[in-house]
Amino acid sequence: MSMVQSKRDRGLIGLRYVVLVVLAVFFLLPFYVIVRNAFSDNSTIVAARWQWIPEKFDFSVLQRLFADEQLGILKALGNSAVVSVLQTSLTVFVALLAGYALSRLDNVVGKILTSLTLFTLMVPAAVTFLPTFVMTAQFGWIDSIRGLVIPVMFSAFATYLFRQTFLNFPRELEEAAAIDGANPWTTFWRVVVPNSMGIIGAVGTITFIGSWNAFLWPLLISRSQTPTIQIVLSQFMTSQGVKYPELFAGALVAIVPVVLVFLFLQRFLVQGVETSGIK
Amino acid sequence: MSQGSATVRGTSASSPAGRTPSLWRRMRGPQGRNLWYAAFAAPFIIGLLVFVYIPIGWSTYLSFFEARATIRPTKFVGLDNYTYLLSDPIFRSSLVTFMIFALFIVPVTYVCSLGLALLLNGVRWGQAFFRSVFFIPTAVSYVVAAMVWRLSFFNGARFGLANSMLRQFGGENKAWLLGGDNYWYWFVVISLRLWLQVGFYMILIIAGLNRIPFETYEAAAIDGATGWKRLLYVTLPQLRTTTVAVLMLLLIGAFQAFDEFLNLFGGIGTYPNFARPPLVHLYLISLGGSQQDLGLGGAGTIIVTGLIVLFGLAQTWLVNRSERKERR
Amino acid sequence: MNLSRRHLFAAAGGIAAAATVSACGDNSGGVGTTTSPTAATSGSATGASSQASNVTLQQWYHEYGEAGVKEAVEKYAAEYTDAKVTVTWNPGDYGKKLSAALLTNDFPDVFEVEQGGSLDMIQAGQLAELNDIFDPVKDQFNPAVVKRFTYDGKIYGIPQVVDMQLLYYRKSALEKAGKQPPKTFAELVDVANAVATGDMGGFFAGNDGGLGVLGTMFIWASGHEQLDEGRTKGAFLTPEFYDAVKAYADFYKNGKGLLKSASKEWYDGTPFADGETAMQWGGLWSVTDIKAKLGDDFGVLPFPAMGAKGRPAVPFGAFGACVAAKGKNVEAAKAFVKWLWIDQEEKQIDFADSYGTHIPSKTALVPKATKLADGAGADAAKFVAESGFTNDIMWSGALGEAYGAALSNAITKGVDPAEAFKGFADKVAAELKRLKG
Repeated sequence: MSMVQSKRDRGLIGLRYVVLVVLAVFFLLPFYVIVRNAFSDNSTIVAARWQWIPEKFDFSVLQRLFADEQLGILKALGNSAVVSVLQTSLTVFVALLAGYALSRLDNVVGKILTSLTLFTLMVPAAVTFLPTFVMTAQFGWIDSIRGLVIPVMFSAFATYLFRQTFLNFPRELEEAAAIDGANPWTTFWRVVVPNSMGIIGAVGTITFIGSWNAFLWPLLISRSQTPTIQIVLSQFMTSQGVKYPELFAGALVAIVPVVLVFLFLQRFLVQGVETSGIK
Repeated sequence: MSQGSATVRGTSASSPAGRTPSLWRRMRGPQGRNLWYAAFAAPFIIGLLVFVYIPIGWSTYLSFFEARATIRPTKFVGLDNYTYLLSDPIFRSSLVTFMIFALFIVPVTYVCSLGLALLLNGVRWGQAFFRSVFFIPTAVSYVVAAMVWRLSFFNGARFGLANSMLRQFGGENKAWLLGGDNYWYWFVVISLRLWLQVGFYMILIIAGLNRIPFETYEAAAIDGATGWKRLLYVTLPQLRTTTVAVLMLLLIGAFQAFDEFLNLFGGIGTYPNFARPPLVHLYLISLGGSQQDLGLGGAGTIIVTGLIVLFGLAQTWLVNRSERKERR
Repeated sequence: MNLSRRHLFAAAGGIAAAATVSACGDNSGGVGTTTSPTAATSGSATGASSQASNVTLQQWYHEYGEAGVKEAVEKYAAEYTDAKVTVTWNPGDYGKKLSAALLTNDFPDVFEVEQGGSLDMIQAGQLAELNDIFDPVKDQFNPAVVKRFTYDGKIYGIPQVVDMQLLYYRKSALEKAGKQPPKTFAELVDVANAVATGDMGGFFAGNDGGLGVLGTMFIWASGHEQLDEGRTKGAFLTPEFYDAVKAYADFYKNGKGLLKSASKEWYDGTPFADGETAMQWGGLWSVTDIKAKLGDDFGVLPFPAMGAKGRPAVPFGAFGACVAAKGKNVEAAKAFVKWLWIDQEEKQIDFADSYGTHIPSKTALVPKATKLADGAGADAAKFVAESGFTNDIMWSGALGEAYGAALSNAITKGVDPAEAFKGFADKVAAELKRLKG
């Protein structure tokens, strides 16, 4: 952004950097701790004196995790990837169409549908998901990719974000296309979507993160066939005790893919929110 | 891209085909476009009805029945579940605590996010890097984040980072998550929440800031508005639409606080009786704890939803009122 | 802390492991004979299942921590010939997963449930009655467990193994301080304060200061039961109970011996084994690990008596093998449960003794558990028999919550116990009435 900078501002710029660096250290600290603990043995983690750099590294934990066939971490990573990618694409597709429609339906139907969408954001899902689960079971979707994806792919949040974005989309472009005889479907794909990649990337990123990190839903749905990475990792924290190194090594395995995806997609996210904005 | 939604609605309101045509005509819209739009929205709306509204309706239905370990209850109990919950001191104190929590955490998160956004916007070099740093916690799950906070940072034993630091400076070990007359656990929860959430709202606010036309600042500078004055009289009013959206999301998030608490304090099937958000309490009653009372769970869901709607309306009213005042 | 039934079992269950007996199956012949009446009763069941030998049964376990348990239960299932049994191993929150599954049409035929079924499950008709296979052999099982498993004369789960909690103490640390192992709670406080040093805490019972796991102990150890015989009201709101709570509150507030934070939770033996504390409230399941680290330098005790009318107490619990009432093959599932948890004593001993430390649920098998033959294991088995307590089936989650809240006010906030428990009697009566429907 371009900002008018007064002399005083310029005088403060050094201070700003100091604050930024200090804050950055705090924000990165948890990542450091995960890495430190993942490569330490238990005695290092529970040592009375905090070791910023562990006196002895232990790389075997991570190796053991991947070597343990019972644990099936690779299979779980695969499942998580499939589920997240599927859920992300489907959610974005469905919400994109709906968000556009809601932004263009400026009659009473549009208002009602928008309110219906907004209202669901206010209803806490922690309790209503038990009926959802029972229905999913009724469909015979337990322990299947379908069961992991379909019931949770209709995101009111994503639809709402898209709608708010498209409210600001310049209609002249669409009208020009309509005059050329294009129907709304064609207009949507040829004109609207190509000009909205930013917000699509943004919603996609958020959906992917949510799906990858989901815990309660997969806990109920997945059994032996479709464990996700979050479920597999929950094994290290049982009532029998906590295995610190394994727990943190597992956490590392779980966050590396999503952080990579995130770093790759985040420019879309920033762009997307900037061009459209939530209003 | 900075036109407000009000203007957009204004232009579109004038486009429909006048008053004379039949209702059906009007509903179809020009060239039957509305039918297209309805078709666009259909998959989502159907999915929403099936996977969100049926469960909501079902929970509501259950709330009027004695429904323990069953979703096909037979014993109608009227409002008993509601009166039971509202007279349950644990649930009541949880509601009160979390109303206070919302009043606190919503402005604090907003101010922190705004602060970061303003801080970032004031620098050029390294802006993208710092933005990524503040934003990247968004990618971390509540489970993992809570683990780091609970087991490493704020572990009550001597090896926790916070306690190690405390001792180094001559302090004593603190049992951070102990509860009772020890309220330090709020510090743990709030720091965790801020770490996880501030980056996301910061991005929304940056986007809002970037939509403020350059000329507005120039004009303000000519009038001599700088520093705090500029923030108060230029930036914040211009940021209003973003602020409204962010505050609403924060409010919903505050009342629906769940994962970070469950993961910070919960064990397998157990949860202490402090630091208990309404949703955690309902979750324990209906699914995650030692009982499975879906009637109570349903009633609680309705109560919490009602509160969110109520507070949401109040918040919107407050923001609008301040806007009206300013206009005057 | 949630003091509900599940609480005990959350821990005990997770742990689950090992049991005690070693096995020689020498009296299995005898067992065969004893169970022959059962065979007669369940003849029809066996008949049914042999007709349908292509029946497939789904069996669920929660995740047992010890290595080898999963392989063992899979092996048991594979050896069963009258039906094909598929074992599902469930890491994570098993209780939640199971109760959710039982609401649907996609649930296991055979599964383990803490304390042989919750009141909710029983009242909702989710569990099949097992009286026909259990009654003939009822006398062989630990009477306390049978009592707890029975509701209205019906039984819904066959006890698998018994788990319990107890007090570990470090002999050398007590000797150094010139203290005897505590017989009363007052002595426990005294010992804890005396042995505590800068490096070693005196007594540890969880990172919540012991409130969660010790909560109901105050009822039992001060000489009370949770509910009266008819389950119409609470049976513990007396001055003696309030004194017991006060004693703990005092320890919590002033006792330097109470270690409120350690590297692990109470259900993990590591803090004790690593010397973070001289005494720890823990599970029998940890005894193997502790022995490996400390050798003979430790002993075990029940929770000591509180006050003049008090008595020592240990909590116990058991997983029960249950059958889904609405399953497609209820009879075949019952036959399998009977085969595994009633007839196959060698497997029961193996399950209890080969992987961790548990107490076999059949009394006659206890002496065969090698790990219970002497030392701490033997003491533990004796404690359960003499001083074992367990949550009443009607001590519901809501009661546990309310109890925990009152207790926490009294202990952590210093509210007078009588004041903190004011109104609790009404709450209990109302809740019991509600539960009975």
